[in-house]
Amino acid sequence: MTKLGKIVAELEKGDIPLEKAVELYGEGVKLSAACRKQLDDAQIKITEDGGEAPSER
Amino acid sequence: MAVITVSQINRYIGSILKSDRNIQGVMVRGEVIDYVKHYRSGHVYFTLKDSESSLKAVMFANAAARLRFEPEDGMSVIVSGSIGVYERDGAYQLYVNDIIPEGAGAAGAALEQLKNKLAKEGIFDTAHKRPIPPMPRKIGAVTSLSGAAVRDIINVLSRRYPLCEVYAVNALVQGEGAADSVCRGILKAEAAGCDVIIVGRGGGSSEDLSAFNTEKVAYVVYNCKVPVISAVGHETDYTIADLAADLRAPTPSAAAELSAPDISSLYEKIGIMERRAERSVLAQFDKASDRFIALNARLTAQSPENRVRLTAERLTGLEKRRETAFARYFERLEHQLSERIARLDSLSPLKVLSRGYSLVYKDDKLLNTSDELDKGDKVRITFGSGGAEAEITDKW
Repeated sequence: MTKLGKIVAELEKGDIPLEKAVELYGEGVKLSAACRKQLDDAQIKITEDGGEAPSER
Repeated sequence: MAVITVSQINRYIGSILKSDRNIQGVMVRGEVIDYVKHYRSGHVYFTLKDSESSLKAVMFANAAARLRFEPEDGMSVIVSGSIGVYERDGAYQLYVNDIIPEGAGAAGAALEQLKNKLAKEGIFDTAHKRPIPPMPRKIGAVTSLSGAAVRDIINVLSRRYPLCEVYAVNALVQGEGAADSVCRGILKAEAAGCDVIIVGRGGGSSEDLSAFNTEKVAYVVYNCKVPVISAVGHETDYTIADLAADLRAPTPSAAAELSAPDISSLYEKIGIMERRAERSVLAQFDKASDRFIALNARLTAQSPENRVRLTAERLTGLEKRRETAFARYFERLEHQLSERIARLDSLSPLKVLSRGYSLVYKDDKLLNTSDELDKGDKVRITFGSGGAEAEITDKW
């Protein structure tokens, strides 16, 4: 996500050659798809650490 | 009469005082003055006074250590203890077991003092407050794992931010050893690599917040390398943990909401970035295409075809000019001609004839005098219209 932000910022500077811009755009599209997939697939992980206070259990 | 020693008399008086129930286990109200804590022994010495008299008091280190606040000069207190004699000086004094500040409860006073102390140390300074990371990967939850708090936190994060790992550390949140347990829990969560730690307790339990009002917890929260969100669940009073924390939440659920963004906002963010990337690339294309069009125009302007075309155009132009020039010239000639014809026409004898004049010919010769005529000569007369032959009968 951070990388995607960087790519967008780079593109918006507008002083890069077109070939490079197209290349960056392609990378950005891939990244955003990856980000979406990450969000779609996100599954919360729970780790319990109960060692400290056994009397509470 | 037997002679006795100073020590004997002091010891005797001491024993009398000790046996007097009226002055053993008393509560004495007064104002603290000359308060001194012996730094090595930990014993505490002060004088209790009212408007008329004063009473020396001593509190031994073991009793003083149990005090939850530090008495100060001028403080109105109720002291419990017993009167005894300090034999060395022959002075009676109050041996103190406990000191209760008058008015506020001891705990309240202690809390106020601790708050003031920590505030002076800068533990609560907003300058020290760290921002919550925008996208934490591992969120610590230090609370009782059997309480509602941890369930609330997990529920909220499952719904809003399933991207994270919740590292839930069991901690005693009330009762004996709770403060230490909370401290250890925070340290464990920190050591486990959490990006942000929620410390708190669920609702429904008793109002005992003492674990969250301790100096140790304040220091551990303050010194924690990652931001701490407190969720002690007490609306009216801020606990010391709340004040020391980087962020305070009224409930564990609220703390969970504050600890991470909502996944929908992340989708939105990605969408925005996609649109921005697209827009800037399209703008680049537009710019490049404009540049291309301009260059191409300049290039084609210089192409041989174009030059031929330009030359041909110039030729056509010249031809046209030539044609018009000629046309005008002929026009002028024609005009002149017709003018002349008209003038010629006006001079034509036929025109004169039409006005009534006639031409007279003799032997096809036009006569302009009668000298050449004789009587009997035949002449031809031409009128404006038609002609006639005539014979000269006379002349003059």
